[in-house]
Amino acid sequence: MRSRSIHLSAIVVAALLLLTATACHRAEMSKPLIVIIVPSQDNPFFKSEGDAASARAQSLGYRVRVDAHEDDAYRQDNLIDAAIASNAAAIILDNAGADSSIAAVRRATQAGIPCFLIDREIEADGIAKAQIIADNNQGARIVAEEFARAIGSDGGDYAELLGRESDTNAQIRTNAFHNVLDKLPQLHLVAAQSANWSQSEAFQKTETMLQAHANIRGIISGNDTMALGAVAAVRSSGRNGIVITGLDGSPDAIAAIRAGALRATSLQPAVMIARMAVDEAVQFLHSGSTGKPERQVIPCDLVTSQNADNYGDFEKLR
Amino acid sequence: MTTALNTRQRSDKLARSFVRTLLFVLKARAVFVLLALLVLFSLLAPSFLTANNFAILSKHVAISAILAIGMTFVVLTGGIDLSVGSLAGLGGMVAGYLLTQGILIAGVVHYPPVATVILITLAACIVVGLLNGWLVAKAGVAPFIATLGTLYIARGAALLMSNGKTFPNLTGQAVRGNTGFPHLGQSSFLAIPLPVWIMLILFALAWLIAVKTPLGRHIYAVGGNERAARLAGIRVPRVKIFTYVASSICAALVGLIIASQLEASHPATGETFELNAIAAVVLGGTSLMGGRGSIPGSLIGAFVIGVLSDGLVMLGVSEFWQMVIKGTVIVLAVAVDQLQSRLQSRFLPYLQSASVEGRE
Repeated sequence: MRSRSIHLSAIVVAALLLLTATACHRAEMSKPLIVIIVPSQDNPFFKSEGDAASARAQSLGYRVRVDAHEDDAYRQDNLIDAAIASNAAAIILDNAGADSSIAAVRRATQAGIPCFLIDREIEADGIAKAQIIADNNQGARIVAEEFARAIGSDGGDYAELLGRESDTNAQIRTNAFHNVLDKLPQLHLVAAQSANWSQSEAFQKTETMLQAHANIRGIISGNDTMALGAVAAVRSSGRNGIVITGLDGSPDAIAAIRAGALRATSLQPAVMIARMAVDEAVQFLHSGSTGKPERQVIPCDLVTSQNADNYGDFEKLR
Repeated sequence: MTTALNTRQRSDKLARSFVRTLLFVLKARAVFVLLALLVLFSLLAPSFLTANNFAILSKHVAISAILAIGMTFVVLTGGIDLSVGSLAGLGGMVAGYLLTQGILIAGVVHYPPVATVILITLAACIVVGLLNGWLVAKAGVAPFIATLGTLYIARGAALLMSNGKTFPNLTGQAVRGNTGFPHLGQSSFLAIPLPVWIMLILFALAWLIAVKTPLGRHIYAVGGNERAARLAGIRVPRVKIFTYVASSICAALVGLIIASQLEASHPATGETFELNAIAAVVLGGTSLMGGRGSIPGSLIGAFVIGVLSDGLVMLGVSEFWQMVIKGTVIVLAVAVDQLQSRLQSRFLPYLQSASVEGRE
């Protein structure tokens, strides 16, 4: 008997709490919703991108929801369905694959929800309202040029850490590196391994590559996380003067550049791109047009010890 | 007549010793595979066979070996622990949090010294280990499901600790009195890296427990026949809980070592590590059904996987081929394991009767 009354009171309290919460939410719920879908929330790059889009949309009077598809096209599909079901006004999407995302974007567009793609493109035109990406090719090129400059005219052996090889971006980046480095006869690629974008994997693989090749003078990495793994491995090997470069412009990498452990990175203006996408989405919702071409390519900035203080979390501060 | 009998006896003897050798080779297959890999890579990669490279190789092996040692106990009882990779990630994040954010006590932020950080990290992971053990032993949840659940819980908790960000610069600060964390993963003692020492100490401890203590015998008994073990008066739940706690301690150590090596802790660290650990355990001849296997086997299994991946990196083999080759080795090893147990049960009566005859 006593336990039943405890149960009852618990239910009543829970119901009251729920009612209050709903009342508080009602004002919020009347705002139009922008759904932001990013690859993951545990990666500083995607996190900054999602946060920037979310902050911008909220400041413009929208309700937001941030989801992560973990680079899984099927999961992305479900998230798009959920966005359609919750009657979103617009979707900001960093997609899960250039080909495998087309159907999902088309479905949302047909359901009357405009999609604005950031960071990664899809292999189709005229479906998304905008595709705003950083220039990966140019970004990788400027960092490769800096890498070659740092090794100097004497040249020598170098190693490369690649991203996940099934990833389009990993291919674009390594191709751009080689467009620059293969033209320089003084530089010799002695080892190239994928570390799947991961710091701990890059650490182990760099340690092993340094063992196999005694004369490595530089390590060029497909992103900052792997570059920081390489920095730790070089430190643990006790070797000096090995040039390491990253790519992305993460806050940790910029800190390492300030500390002199990393030579350079190239900053993808992810925050700016996310804000642009939200602005264009709002413009589109008001006027029916973004006023911009669908495909927009934003150049990356080279960050070295010279200008590291001018950059913050994936954005230029001054 | 006598000569004919003699010839038959002799050929029988020959066949018997052949069967014995075959069974031995199959039983010690992981050792042979390891030796073969060592010879192969020494021939193909010039700097493979150097003391320095072996130090680094063992450091890499230590990560999966430590996990495999804890995992062996769990698997011996017929269980499985899928949460170790996430726990390693969580352990690193707890340490990273304490070193960079400190603990808020009564409105003041305290930075615990490194030893305390390590103890708190171990304690946090032991809590998850206890949860695993309780779920399996008391709540009766299948080990696969229980630890799959804690896999997600631990990974989520790790992500929540930093909101998905990395804790960088785990070197500590002299002002805060918490310097020295990087030593755990980076220093050496007698030219052997500390992680390798940790692996060796854990190995020795685990081996002692497995073969010299009642607890060890109970672990084998529970895996061999749980009902019989219970009827024999073994406190089965307690034994099971011990194995999951042991596994969680190993996972915490791995998390600490990786965070210390990188001087940074990332919440996604340790993804799929559980699969490497299970592969090492299985390669070492421990049966996933429980009751059969050994700690040294798992150590050798971890070395097989480690030598294979480092050797292939030195040779410059692409990631995709590395995966295919690793998978092939695991599948072959388990296939041979099945072949061995079939042959053993088939030939054991024959060998035993032979030895009885021999005595006559």
